[in-house]
Amino acid sequence: MDFRSMITEQRICLLKEKKKKPVLLKLIDCAVKQGAVREQDAGALTERIFHREKLMSTGIGIGIAIPHVRFAGVKNPLIIVGIQPEGIADYMSIDDRPVQVVVMILMAQNQHREYIALLSNVVAFLKSDAVKQKLIKTETAAAAYKLITGKSKSAAGRPAKDTRYA
Amino acid sequence: MLDFFNSILKTVSLSHLNILLVLGLALFGGTIGGRLFQKLKIPQVVGYIIIGIIIGQSGLQLVPQEIASKFEPFNYFALGLISFMIGGELKLSTLKKYGRQFLYILFFEALGAFFLVGLFVFIVMFLILQNIILALGLALLLGSISAATAPASTTDVLWEYKTRGPLTSTVFGIVALDDILALLLFAVCSSVSTIFLGKQGGNILGELLNLLYEVGAAVLVGAGSGFLLARLLRAFHDEEKTLTFSIGAILLVLGLSVALNLDMLLSSMIMGVLITNLAPIRSKELFSLLGRIATPIYVLFFVLVGTSLNIIGIDLMLGVLASVYLIGRTAGKIFGARLGGALSKAVPAVRKYLPLCLFSQAGVAIGLAIFAQQKFPGEIGNAIVIVITATTFIVQLIGPSFVRYAVTKAGEVGLNITEDDLIKTIKTQEVLAKKTPLIPENTKLKKVLSIFSRHDYLYYPVVDKKKCMLGVISINSIKETFSHQELSDFLLAHDIMETPVTTCAPDTPLAQVDEMLKHYHLDYIPVVKPDKRVAGIIERRGIQRFIATKLLDMEKKTKALG
Repeated sequence: MDFRSMITEQRICLLKEKKKKPVLLKLIDCAVKQGAVREQDAGALTERIFHREKLMSTGIGIGIAIPHVRFAGVKNPLIIVGIQPEGIADYMSIDDRPVQVVVMILMAQNQHREYIALLSNVVAFLKSDAVKQKLIKTETAAAAYKLITGKSKSAAGRPAKDTRYA
Repeated sequence: MLDFFNSILKTVSLSHLNILLVLGLALFGGTIGGRLFQKLKIPQVVGYIIIGIIIGQSGLQLVPQEIASKFEPFNYFALGLISFMIGGELKLSTLKKYGRQFLYILFFEALGAFFLVGLFVFIVMFLILQNIILALGLALLLGSISAATAPASTTDVLWEYKTRGPLTSTVFGIVALDDILALLLFAVCSSVSTIFLGKQGGNILGELLNLLYEVGAAVLVGAGSGFLLARLLRAFHDEEKTLTFSIGAILLVLGLSVALNLDMLLSSMIMGVLITNLAPIRSKELFSLLGRIATPIYVLFFVLVGTSLNIIGIDLMLGVLASVYLIGRTAGKIFGARLGGALSKAVPAVRKYLPLCLFSQAGVAIGLAIFAQQKFPGEIGNAIVIVITATTFIVQLIGPSFVRYAVTKAGEVGLNITEDDLIKTIKTQEVLAKKTPLIPENTKLKKVLSIFSRHDYLYYPVVDKKKCMLGVISINSIKETFSHQELSDFLLAHDIMETPVTTCAPDTPLAQVDEMLKHYHLDYIPVVKPDKRVAGIIERRGIQRFIATKLLDMEKKTKALG
């Protein structure tokens, strides 16, 4: 599974927020707008995301965070990328460094295998410092999209639906 | 319109039940009666018979005589089925082990009853009637009838309480064989009586030859059909055919025996003996199949037994006679069985408790009484029928409870149990893995792995701070992470747990849990208390291990009994 095939321009947020909580809320909001869950489930999803953070921060070090949940309300697996070049200082990463790239992964409850694979895939991609550096220097979502996927634009400007989960 | 209702009312008759109503009432009421008595710790068969008595000739008289007589073939079938199943209990190994014991006890308990009943009846009747010939005739006839023990209601208790052990085996052996002894005694005694009661046709040799034919040919018919059925069983393996063939065989043997005037219970019993010894594995399946369909047949049969018991018309003299008969028979059976047990060096449980298992009398005794009535019409015949019916009435009501008491005291209850039976008696709580480690949801993957390596369970519940169930981690769920080592630092139990398909409560019957496992093709089910806290996890292999241990335990207990 390659997370890059699940990215669209609309799923990339150049963040103004610099605190963990508003950042996560912003990404959840984006996910809801992208149709990850029904609007009435947004509250429950938010709760799940913050619950997971309470158990242990998803800041995995070297400026990266991967907030992730499996959630019964998730219709299609969804990835939202948030970029904050200045860093989110209060993310409480395991190496205490500010987080610059946040990749939120939302999966359906029963997608255990895909979930682990996707997490691993994201980590592998971002572990390369060069890629991460380029990513935080991008100024538009389109540029970030191109950097991640290697494509210039998602087809006809529509969100690239991952047909595997449709 | 009014005419219509009038005509309907004219045709409707509830005071005299039709055959279907009798069947329904018997099965329905009988089952309720059985349940009520089971609650009182009295064998269900007593409940069936009491329901029969209530609706029958001694009670509300709801069942007209002509309908009762229509059930005769059914009664034969039920008795034949019971005999067949008793035969199935007589394995060669059992006969070898207990054969000597069977013969001694059989001989002494039957003759004990015969002599004491004969003696008591003779003395009392001679004192009352001052007629030595009449007293002697009654004494001989009642004495010989008293030897018989009812296999049906006795073995029904053994089946109900799933008993196993030396006492159980001995009871099966005795009740299977003592009717033959009773027939023999009766044949001799009725011939002797005929001679001195001045009736025609008293020919002991002829009677004996006739008996030899009845018994010998019955053995041949039973053995032949048993041999054939055993071959058929080997050829057909699906349950429907097995069951159908077997019931067909039982009916054929019974019908043939009736047509040839043979002892039909003996022939079907012999067939059972052959089947169980010629095809031990297949017949085990067959007897369990028959056991499953037998209940409604038994209920109906015993209710019908109850309906036919008529104790109306008993007077003081007959009352005295019945009491004397009862005392003599009970004492004779007790002393005889004790003596036989002691002489054959039976284990103490058999010596002590077998006498209590031999009180029931029914079909054979009543049959012989009716036979006597036909042979000696008038005063003697009527007296015998009423005495036997009245005493049957009493021993059928108390006999099964004595059997239950005896097998309970002998420690044989619940030892003859299959996996299916066993699983029904176990609560989920008992099987629960003691102290399954609970994994808090914020446990890191590395710690989870070390928990797996330290315990041998396959599934672990993931819980929150209040120990409430959140999910389950299995070998399968951690297997996925093996190829993604880079995640091991930040994956938590929360991330890799799976949601169980279903859960159950600690008081869910284990049988139901087992059903759920099979139905959903699961290997485990988490057990969750009503307050959502985890009680543990039931694994399929855990159930199997638990049951295997229990079965082994029972095997040991049975062996320890002797």
